[in-house]
Amino acid sequence: MYIDLNVPVPTITDGAPMPSKKSKGKQPQQQQKPAILFTPAQISAIEARIDLLVYLGYTVLAFNQNVQKRVDPKSHVNTLDPLLLQLRKRSGVAYLKRLTIVLNEESEKGFGLTTSNAALFTPYDLIALLPTTAGSFSLACQSHTTPSPLTAHIICLPLTSPRLPFNLKHTMVRTALRNGAVFEISYAGALGAESDASTSAAGSSEGGASAKRNWWAAAREVVRVTKGKGIIVTGGVLSQADLRAPRDIGNLITVLGLPQNQAHDAATKTPQSLIARAQTRRTYRAVFSEPTVIIPAVTAETSSQATIPEGAASSQGQPAATPTVGNGEAQKAHNKKRSRSEDDGGAQQSADVPADAPPTQPEREKEGAQRKKKKAKSSANLPAQ
Amino acid sequence: MVRFKNRWLLVELIPCPSTSTTSALDASAPEGSAIESKNIWSALKQSVIANFGDVGWGAVSSSLTIKYYSPTTNVCIIRVARDHHQTAWAGVTLLTSIEGRKYVPNVVHVSGTIKQAQLAAIAHNREVIARYRANRLQAAAYQDSYEEFLQQSTQVLEALQD
Repeated sequence: MYIDLNVPVPTITDGAPMPSKKSKGKQPQQQQKPAILFTPAQISAIEARIDLLVYLGYTVLAFNQNVQKRVDPKSHVNTLDPLLLQLRKRSGVAYLKRLTIVLNEESEKGFGLTTSNAALFTPYDLIALLPTTAGSFSLACQSHTTPSPLTAHIICLPLTSPRLPFNLKHTMVRTALRNGAVFEISYAGALGAESDASTSAAGSSEGGASAKRNWWAAAREVVRVTKGKGIIVTGGVLSQADLRAPRDIGNLITVLGLPQNQAHDAATKTPQSLIARAQTRRTYRAVFSEPTVIIPAVTAETSSQATIPEGAASSQGQPAATPTVGNGEAQKAHNKKRSRSEDDGGAQQSADVPADAPPTQPEREKEGAQRKKKKAKSSANLPAQ
Repeated sequence: MVRFKNRWLLVELIPCPSTSTTSALDASAPEGSAIESKNIWSALKQSVIANFGDVGWGAVSSSLTIKYYSPTTNVCIIRVARDHHQTAWAGVTLLTSIEGRKYVPNVVHVSGTIKQAQLAAIAHNREVIARYRANRLQAAAYQDSYEEFLQQSTQVLEALQD
């Protein structure tokens, strides 16, 4: 199944004037916002683009809403929820919602991705950051990729801007990858297509030969630094004429130096596991399985046996990327409960947990403390392959 | 025995409508002259030279041939040498327009033998005709001109030689 995680949606500007920011006292007045409606022309343009995307073979699409500089809780409007209501239902195609925040120097102090604004971010399935300065890049990689309800799982880079404004430091990239973030390459730049308003705000040269040249240089650099591991390719194209089929894009990426299997994964497996991982934002610190409290008693042996199938069952719905992780957690949960309830000394850490799976790292630390808290079971809603 | 190995790309060139609101799939035949295989060849040459330079074109040109093109279904079969087929494939992907009109190139099938390319092209033609027929919402047994087109194109495709 081919996944395109960046279908840009035209920004809607409200006709009604927004209340000024100085009037902090007038809270009740600011609650009213006019309903966001897309015009029929925009809807049919978006539908036409989706038709073509489905024909080319994409089954999972994420609509992208761009926000410049910072998310202002007073003026932020979720334009994607009303859009999804207005679109035709298609069987076999999944729509996701994504928010991209463009960061620049002002954003280094803070751009609204805080726990106090968490309610704004819950309707979005994916959060992406587009840093344009070195400071915002290190901020994005190091602090915003750690698992939490506010994790930004995608880091996009302005690939068409002349001379990528910052060096992609290997250590920061590795931190982001180990936390589970991915780096995004959007192929609109390779075609010299007019891409999102976000990248044009980042100072890139629109169209023209120089945009394409910068794209090739920057994309090659991204591939080199990440060694091909945490990369997704996405569209980011505004018009139909620039859409390309997923295997065509896979071949284009091999020109950047990626081996063919990794290029193919960049449009299939990596975004698939990313979506599953992004659903952990709804859990506490990326724990998947729902634990049960074991009362130490003679029946502890049988009840701790029962937790393994439960832990495994809760991860049945996950895509192929995480079943070993789910079982590893359940195994560790089982081992911890056994060592707590019975001191038979037979509890061995299961060695088959993949070391670089992001959910297990915080899970190992916090699991004991969180066992009594209720956690949501995450259910994957993607169509099965 | 060093055989000369090829790759056969089955490319569907989807014409793009001028307005953004109509879907590219519902677009009728483009007005003006239909394009021919030599137009595709020169557009592909421009694309490869612009993106990969003279070096790229030199690698690809000796073996690049457009073997088949059908204006009705916008399908063309391109033959390239296996060693450089990725360059040619990237050139196809980066194509934006032929003869001034915009197209979306969609590589449907890649194979090493002409036989598989023929079979894929025949199957693709049948799908496209089925889609046209479904859009027209007519009875399945209705004999229309598409049947004749299908037979004709199948014959032409099977007559293709290396």
